[in-house]
Formats: sequence, C-alpha cells, structure tokens
Amino acid sequence: MNHVVVDNLLSFLAQDGCTDAEFDRVALHLFAEQHAANAAFHRFCAGRGVTPRTVKSWRDIPAVPITAFKEVTLSCVPAESAERVFMTSGTTRGDVKGRHYHPTMAVWDASMARHFAQRFMRGAERMRMAILFPSEQEMPNSSLAHYLAMATERFGTSDSLYALNLQGMDIEPLQRMLREAERTQQPCALLGASFSFVHLLDELARTGETFRLPPGSRILDTGGYKGHSRELPLEDFYAGLSATFGVPRELCINMYGMTELSTQLYDDGNAVVPSVKSGPHWLRSRLADPLTGREVPRGERGVLVHCDLANFNSVTTILTEDVGIAVDGGFQLLGRAEGAQAKGCSLAVQEFLQAART
Amino acid sequence: MTSPWTAGHLPGLAEGEVGWQVLAFGAGAQKLEVRVPVLEPRQLRALARNVRAAARRELRTLSVSQVIRVIDAAVVRLLDPADPYRQEALRLLPTVSGYDAEMVRLGLDGYLQRFRAPQLHRFVAEDFTNPKVLDEFQPAIKGGAVRAFGPDLLLHSWAGNVPALPVWSLVCGLLVKAGTVGKLPSAEPVFASLFARLLAEVHPPLADCIAVVWWKGGDDASAAAVIAEADTVLAYGGNDAITQLRAQVPVTTRFIGYGHKLGLGLVARAALDTLRAPATARLAAHDVVRYEQQGCYSPHHFYVQEGGKVTPRDFAQYLAAELGNLQRRFPRRALALEESAAIAGWRQAAELQSLADAGVELLGAPDAAWSVAYSDAPQPLSPTGGGRSIFVSAVEALDEVVPLIAPHARFLQTIGMAAEPRELHRMADVLGEAGVTRICALGAMTSPEAGWHHDGRFNLLDLVRMVEVEASAERAADALAAYAQEPQP
Repeated sequence: MNHVVVDNLLSFLAQDGCTDAEFDRVALHLFAEQHAANAAFHRFCAGRGVTPRTVKSWRDIPAVPITAFKEVTLSCVPAESAERVFMTSGTTRGDVKGRHYHPTMAVWDASMARHFAQRFMRGAERMRMAILFPSEQEMPNSSLAHYLAMATERFGTSDSLYALNLQGMDIEPLQRMLREAERTQQPCALLGASFSFVHLLDELARTGETFRLPPGSRILDTGGYKGHSRELPLEDFYAGLSATFGVPRELCINMYGMTELSTQLYDDGNAVVPSVKSGPHWLRSRLADPLTGREVPRGERGVLVHCDLANFNSVTTILTEDVGIAVDGGFQLLGRAEGAQAKGCSLAVQEFLQAART
Repeated sequence: MTSPWTAGHLPGLAEGEVGWQVLAFGAGAQKLEVRVPVLEPRQLRALARNVRAAARRELRTLSVSQVIRVIDAAVVRLLDPADPYRQEALRLLPTVSGYDAEMVRLGLDGYLQRFRAPQLHRFVAEDFTNPKVLDEFQPAIKGGAVRAFGPDLLLHSWAGNVPALPVWSLVCGLLVKAGTVGKLPSAEPVFASLFARLLAEVHPPLADCIAVVWWKGGDDASAAAVIAEADTVLAYGGNDAITQLRAQVPVTTRFIGYGHKLGLGLVARAALDTLRAPATARLAAHDVVRYEQQGCYSPHHFYVQEGGKVTPRDFAQYLAAELGNLQRRFPRRALALEESAAIAGWRQAAELQSLADAGVELLGAPDAAWSVAYSDAPQPLSPTGGGRSIFVSAVEALDEVVPLIAPHARFLQTIGMAAEPRELHRMADVLGEAGVTRICALGAMTSPEAGWHHDGRFNLLDLVRMVEVEASAERAADALAAYAQEPQP
C-alpha cells in the first residue's frame, strides 16, 4: 500500500471543497497508479485503447462496470493483504459476490464520517439512534453494516440500539425508545435498509401505533427493496414514514451507496420524490450511454458513472446499473436499468436467466 | 402536430362510443402517435358475440378456396407499390418498429409473398390431406365421413414488434373460418389494423367477422370478457405473459401459447473454405441484422467447426466485417436506454471473460452498431443483448453443440445450418431430438417457408375440431332409409 497516496487523499478529503483542476489532478494521479498496479484494470484499459497519456480529465477514465467486481480482482495490492473485504449481497446473481478490497479502512472511514456529518447530522454532535440492520459482527462483509456501526459509534449516544438481527426485527425495545423520545423530547434517528422500514411500517400499521418524534428527529433509509419486502412507491414510502413517526419528509434522507464505492451520496430529504442526490467534493458523477460510455445530453436519461477518489485501491471510476437524470445540484435516481423487456419474440436475457434458475 | 393515427377495427362500433389511448412512437421528426381503442368489458363482450355471429353467417359459408382468394386479393394489394394500404404500412412501420425503412420494405415483401394463393393452398394442404374437409363432410379412409370446424370465435393475443407478425395467426384463423378477435401488441399496433380493414374492403362481408382491439397488459377484466366468449385462445409473448393469460382461460377452452424462443446457427467445415466462408458469413450476418434479432427465429450464437481452411476465428472476423457492411445499408435502429443497457451488459460479460481468460475476445468497438464475441472453446447457449450482438464459438465437431443446447429445449426453435448433405441429415436427427423444431439455411432464418410448423405445431390442425360420422352411423341410417330392404328371412 502506498502510504503517501493515503495521506494525500486524507488531507484532500479534509479540504473544504476543491476546484475542477484539483479534482482532475487527484483523479489522474490515482488513474495512473491503478493503471500501473492493477493488472485486470490495465487489460481493461488496453481493450479500450486508453492509457494515462490519453486521459486528460476524470471524464476520460474508462468506467469499469460493477459486474467486474464479481469477475476479476480489482486491487492494487495483493487481495489477501487487504485489511477488509466488502462483498455485495449478491441480489442479482445469488452465487457470485462482488468483492471490494480495502488495504486500510482509514480512507473509507474518513469519507463516511465527513460526509455523514455534513448531510445527515447537519451540525448535531450525537443523537440516539436505532439501527434497522444486522450488526457488523453478524455481517462482517457488508459495507452497510460497517457504515451503520460507524454511525452509532461516532455519532450515536451510548444508549443507541440495534432493532434488528439476523433472526428478525426486535420491535419492542424500538417502540420503547420511540415512546421515550416522545416523552423526553430528545431528538432521535432511525437508520436502516429501506426494506426494513417497509417491514417496520407494516408491523406498526398492524398495531395501529404512530409516533410524533420530537423536532430534529430524522430518518435515513438506503438500498431499495431488493425483493426483501413488497415494492412500495417512493411517494407512499416517505408519506408512510412521515405519518408513522412524525418526522417531516425534509428529514427523511435517502443514502445512495454501494459496495463498489468508498463514499456515499445523499439527498436533502424527500419532500419531493425523486429527490436530488449528490456526493461530496471527492466524488463526481456523470450520466452515460451504457453502451458507449459517452455522456448523454443533459436532460436525457443515462446510466450513472461515479468517479470516487476514495476508491484509491480498486478503480476510481465505475459504471453502475442505475438510471438517472442530471438536474441542478446533482441527479435524480430513476431505478435500475433492467435488461430491455423483449419487444419481439426473441427470448430476452432476463427471462432466460429466470428459467435457468427454476 | 398532426392527429394520431387510429388503430383497431371495431365492426358495429362508432369512434365516439369507445375510449382511446395514445401510444407514442419514434422521436424527433420521426415522431408518430397512434391511438388504440379502449373498450369497456361489456363492449368487448358484445363485440365478440357479434363477430361470432357474423363469422357463422359470412365466413363459415365460404369455401376454403374462396377464403384463399380473398386473402390473396388483399395480399396482392399489399405488394402493389401503388396501393394506398401498402404505402400507409411502409410509412408507419419504420417509425413504429424503429427498423430501417428499407429493411421493413424488403422484409415485408419477402414475408407477404408467403401469403399468395398458391402458398396458401400449400399451407392448407400441409395440414389437411384433403382440404375439402374444411368445407363439407368428406369420406374418411377408415370409413364414415369427417369434417373440420374451426372455432366460432378465436382470440389472438399478439405480441412483439416484428412488423406484420400477427398476419400469420390472422390468416390461420381465416383459413379455418373462425371469427377473429385480435388484441394488438402495444409495440406494433399498425399492421393488423390495416390488414383487417383491407380484408373488409376486398370482401365487405368480412368486415364484421374480424375485430382488432387493444387493452392494457394486465387488464384482467377486459381479457376475461373476451376469453369467456372464445372457443380457442392463441397467445404470443413471453412465458410470464402467457402464463398470466392461460390462468384466465377455462379448462374447456382450447389454449395455444407460443413463447419466446432462441435461435442459433451451425457452420460445418464444408462451408469454411476460402471461397465459401465469406458468403456463408454474409448470410449469417443477414440473419442477425434482419429485425434486429427480435424474431423467435433470430440467431444469437453461431457454433463454427474447426478444421476448415477458414478458422472459426476468421469466420467471426468475416461476420464482423459483414455486419459492418450491413450497418451502412441498413443502419441499426435507435436504441432505448434499456436496450443499450442490455447490449452493454452482454458486451461487459464478454469483455470480462476476455480479461479473465484468453479464450474470449470481443470484436468491434464499443460504439460500433454491432458486436461479435468470439471464443475458441464452445460456449453455453444464452441470449445476447440483441441489437446485432452475436456470439461465435469454435467446436471440433457439430455434435458438441447438442449437450449445450439440450438443457434449453423449451426455448429452441430455429437452427440455421451450413453443412454438407450427409452432415445436415445426420445432425437433423440429433438436433430434433434435442428440441429444435426448424432447420433452415443460413440467410433464411428469419423467413420461414409457407406451411411451416411453428414451434413444431400444426398451425391449422391445432385450431379445428374434427367432426366424425362413423361408419356405424351410416350403416344404421341405411337401415332406416325408405329404400332399405328388409333382411331376407
């Protein structure tokens, strides 16, 4: 691991922002490093005729499709020397998991803490938190479990709790905590996977209990439903959260993150959906045609490409499967680019895979 | 902004009596709006009943040869460059389907020729040794007499945007003299509408025997209203859509489903000398380009035999070059984001395979309007992303393909084949056993011949109900005739 790179990056993250030129300088430097040290990425670039010479800006860095994290080792250090490996949950192809190797957690943790403080805590030091996700011990390879553990350790009070384990939801301590918050008027935070919130909403709807959490209380959901719960339209989801917990939709914040990144993106609440998402100064996003990788004209739908400078060991620039549209201040997320539904009578990949699975 | 083009054919219903929904096609200067009728379930039910009554009156009374004359007359008009119906079809279909206009014209001409009178007679003869059974009772070889009745009301649920595809089933229905209610696919609501109107113009009594309707996918109430009136339901589409529809069909109603399929090609050594290989690749490229691989018969994988003068890898290069040529003649249609994503996903998988092992390579730049992936070892059969993306893999012997395709038997249909006669006939046995239902020449994959057995079925026989008068009934009747002679004591 290159300590100079890590140290430089940590001070870059600690800056108050950066200019385009500064961003490009770090991006190109990391690109050259990764191009030289990462054999799979080197071949990938060669296939596209791209070398550090031809890359002039972060937009020129070839975006690696996230499926590549499943197929090849994307790491500048030997994989076995990594301090931590995060794995995808394998929702799209249950058998194969994508792996993201982190030689040190220093950068990931700094990225998380800095941006979380800005976008979720918004000046608050600590807050009582309830986590709707299994703990880091239960899911050691989950980047989300680590994220939520960090949130409670660095930003939660000591009486924060986990309301969920691998066995299921433990709703009573959670209900007690929410009632207590109502009584003491101490703001609290609920954080977890979107599908866990759907289960919680269903559960509370059954008992008919609702809460009026004190001002300043907030909610963070992430990750969509991934087949773990019923699909709830965004509008209904946030209306339900707001009605059940008494938290204004401006304080229902959605975090957009992925195993393949080292940085999370946020919106500024969900009063209007779809919300506008954006990253910190060390991450930039663009919308591309998935086939050519070229940027789509502004206002047109495209697939999201993120250049995350905190991804210093894998690849900075990834091509996601998420469809978005660029707007002022960031982008709106419009869902996943599911394979085209067959318009003709030729078998589509989706249907074929489905049949192959059954 | 011009007003939307009106789809559908609703005998007995005025425009104002039904709702309309507008579907948008194309983009920019090529924009087109088509409005499709939205009927109440009770209107659909009444329409179906009227169609059934009219078909009994007007269609059942025609001989099959008369029906063929009517269809032929309509098809002749669609093949006539001066005919307004043809002009309308050629104006609308490129925008609706997104396919290149020239490709639509050539495709339509080739396709419609299959519905001229001689071909239609052949079509009938393929299923009925004596076509007159469709008109009247005919002596049966085993004794007695037999007649074939088509359904009183045949419901077609069409799918897909391969232009004019519904004509197959529409014609089948007419040949067995069935009243027809057809549900338009949202992806191509034009041609079936035009064809129904043209038939009505050619032979006015037919106007009431055909209805062309639309409802939104998943609108169970509308589907149920028509299904309740139908004797037979013909459904085209993905297995999910077919399953959904079939669940609504009573067990006493005949249901025939045609699901999505996956085509492939086999190229034997004999086709791979320096003279023949480029020509073979040209034919293969033609099959890939025609209808952008959206047809059930379109190829997604070519297995190419090693040991010829031209190696499988060279063949892949020839194929890539031909796809490049065809792009100039018939440019690929504009892709929706989802289609781009599907092709990109397929390309990425091939690209990653090439990163992981040296056996796979991807020919063609990311921004080329076609992609060829090549592997020097046989790869499993799987759909590509479509839009002119094709896998080529090398095999030592064609038989190696069988275990690769056999697990997908229920998705197999067409194999395009370039091989010497002995190999063709030997492989036909093996491939048939594996689940393939159609073997044709490369270059002909997208144009099945008249009278083909779609997915291995009898297009017409599947629709009819045979009515038999057994020999015993004839003998018994004889005994009761006025002229019967008392048995001699």
